[in-house]
Amino acid sequence: MQHNKIRVCWMYHNIMDLYGDKGNMMVLSKRCEKRGIECEIVPLEIGQEMDLTEFDLLFLGGGADREQVLLMEDLLKRKEQIAKAMEQGTFVVLICGGYQLFGQYYIAADGTKIEGLKFFDYYTEAGSNYQRCIGNIAISAQLDDFTTTIIGFENHGGQTRNVSKPFGKVLSGYGNNQSDHMEGFYNGQVLGTYMHGPLFPKNPEVADFVIYKCLKKQNPELKYTDLTRLDDSLEQQAREVMLKRMNITV
Amino acid sequence: MKIPVLLLTKAISFILRRMGRGGSFPGQIALKLNQNIFDCFRYTCPIIVVTGTNGKTSTSNMIADLFTASNQKIINNRKGDNLKEGIATAFINAASISGKIDADAMVLEVDELNIPYIMKHVKVSTLVLTNFFRDQLDRSQEMEQLIQKIEAAVKDFKGTLVLNGNDPNVVRVKDHAPNASVLYFGVERCEASSSTPQEASEGKFCPRCNHMLTYSFYQYSHIGMFQCTNCEYCTPKLDVCGEDITIEQGSFRYENTLFHAPIASLYTIYNCMAVIAVAKLYQLPYDLCERIFLHTKQPAGRNETFAWQGNDYTLNLVKNPTGANEVLKTIELDKDEKALMIVLNDNAQDGTDVSWIYDAQFERVLQLSTQRIICSGTRAYDMALRIKYADYPGEIIVIEDPKKALDTLYDYHIRSYIIATYTALAPVRALMRKDEAHAA
Repeated sequence: MQHNKIRVCWMYHNIMDLYGDKGNMMVLSKRCEKRGIECEIVPLEIGQEMDLTEFDLLFLGGGADREQVLLMEDLLKRKEQIAKAMEQGTFVVLICGGYQLFGQYYIAADGTKIEGLKFFDYYTEAGSNYQRCIGNIAISAQLDDFTTTIIGFENHGGQTRNVSKPFGKVLSGYGNNQSDHMEGFYNGQVLGTYMHGPLFPKNPEVADFVIYKCLKKQNPELKYTDLTRLDDSLEQQAREVMLKRMNITV
Repeated sequence: MKIPVLLLTKAISFILRRMGRGGSFPGQIALKLNQNIFDCFRYTCPIIVVTGTNGKTSTSNMIADLFTASNQKIINNRKGDNLKEGIATAFINAASISGKIDADAMVLEVDELNIPYIMKHVKVSTLVLTNFFRDQLDRSQEMEQLIQKIEAAVKDFKGTLVLNGNDPNVVRVKDHAPNASVLYFGVERCEASSSTPQEASEGKFCPRCNHMLTYSFYQYSHIGMFQCTNCEYCTPKLDVCGEDITIEQGSFRYENTLFHAPIASLYTIYNCMAVIAVAKLYQLPYDLCERIFLHTKQPAGRNETFAWQGNDYTLNLVKNPTGANEVLKTIELDKDEKALMIVLNDNAQDGTDVSWIYDAQFERVLQLSTQRIICSGTRAYDMALRIKYADYPGEIIVIEDPKKALDTLYDYHIRSYIIATYTALAPVRALMRKDEAHAA
């Protein structure tokens, strides 16, 4: 492998860190380390100068409504850079609030409308009567060449609609909204999801897939199966407990 | 209707107590039969309500003890039954059949989400707010919405707010209570203070103008001395401020009296400052406070130590990242060889979302001196993954059943710390008590 390093921009790490999303960064870094891949995680704060095109991964977690309003101004200023980074093959992982902000708009529980980055057609509105989608969730998702079951915890008031390319089919839980039975967004380069938990610890395949996508930016020939396998027995047992609870057989 | 509902629920309560059962069932029935059951009670004594994310049980118990120690007849919901049903039960038990409550004061611990109901239906004199942290977000939704509900609930409040002046999420409540008077308590800069934030913090933005807050110092989490970068919002002048803090002894000074917190930690000192503020407000002597701090019985599972075959086993309840961090800090102080057992449940009362374990700094206790870690409970494997990804060098043992986990822990014959979430606490504590009694 020529390039054995990934550079991750952890966007607004100190604001968008609801529901343990920082756990994703811990897992990413550890799984890289075990394989001898250098993983540099660079936190980005509001107003901080940063060339986003230099990264292999942009990661944006979830925040409370109020916090999302506050960072939007800064995020909008970086829109062109994000577009450019994506053009150059940077992978993007968006959780919950981060996922919403890449769409058309987000209408918060108090009626405030937040304009999104409008990269995609989906939009988000607060659920009626403050109904939130809360609970354990499992989906069946296609990660390019393979299908896998992904487990997480969702907690969102926003109902996301008009999703052209959902990430997966809901096996248990809500997903994007209370009626479609589909979860998240994935177009081969941008992965948006409502799945907290955090997402990566119980879904090592997803974590590895993201690492693979990042490495691929520099190594186009790389295959997912080229990644060294790690001992994931604890992860598998953690998955089994939750799958059994949700009555899902894989 | 009034007498029959009271009579009925008093009778139920009496029978239940004769059967040795407590609980909030009588209050539950009363509220079902009459939503305005609180209108049936007649009382003239002051009512002190304690709420906040952390420390409300300890603080309200100490306040209750303080009044009792000054020979006042008090009524409280000591068993931590802090939902409106539990509070209704406390009222029912205290009232005569005609609804008259004869007491010098009532001290009530109230769950944050029940504050709007209680403020509306009960004549509260003093509202003590300890702090607001992330806690079981799946239940109380995001903290901001919770604080807004509390702000709305104090809009017509004419009593006294006793507020943690070092918590920007608490200080803001006064902005919405124009008719209330206020006493701010807090703690001055001390050896545990730091100029950079150490933990996931909530108080990042000014509640008045949305600009960033800066801190002269942090005590723990987002508790500290804050000021807005844009407007006047800042830590107010503290009416009751703890000084000369020594963490190791848990000692602090206020107005020439030296106090000792029941647990040597900064967050316990904050609870004590809230108690002293109430003492000041009700003109109760400070030396009584010190006596209460030294002798008050701590709630179950707050640094509670059991002995078994020559080793100590210290049990702690954890409910959220901030509380967990404070517990982890006390364990971190113990540099000797030890074992750790963490019981993580995800029942409704624990919070069904266990992601908070990633916001808590388990890294603090993962040194080599922590020789073994047992993960237990309904989400034992999630806990094990948390420890694994924190780079713990030792062996992680997963035993989902808490009893078997505890037996394994005993087999190590080593000083141990047990951390349990809400629904795990009572069963684990019962086992430990039984084992201790048996060993003795």
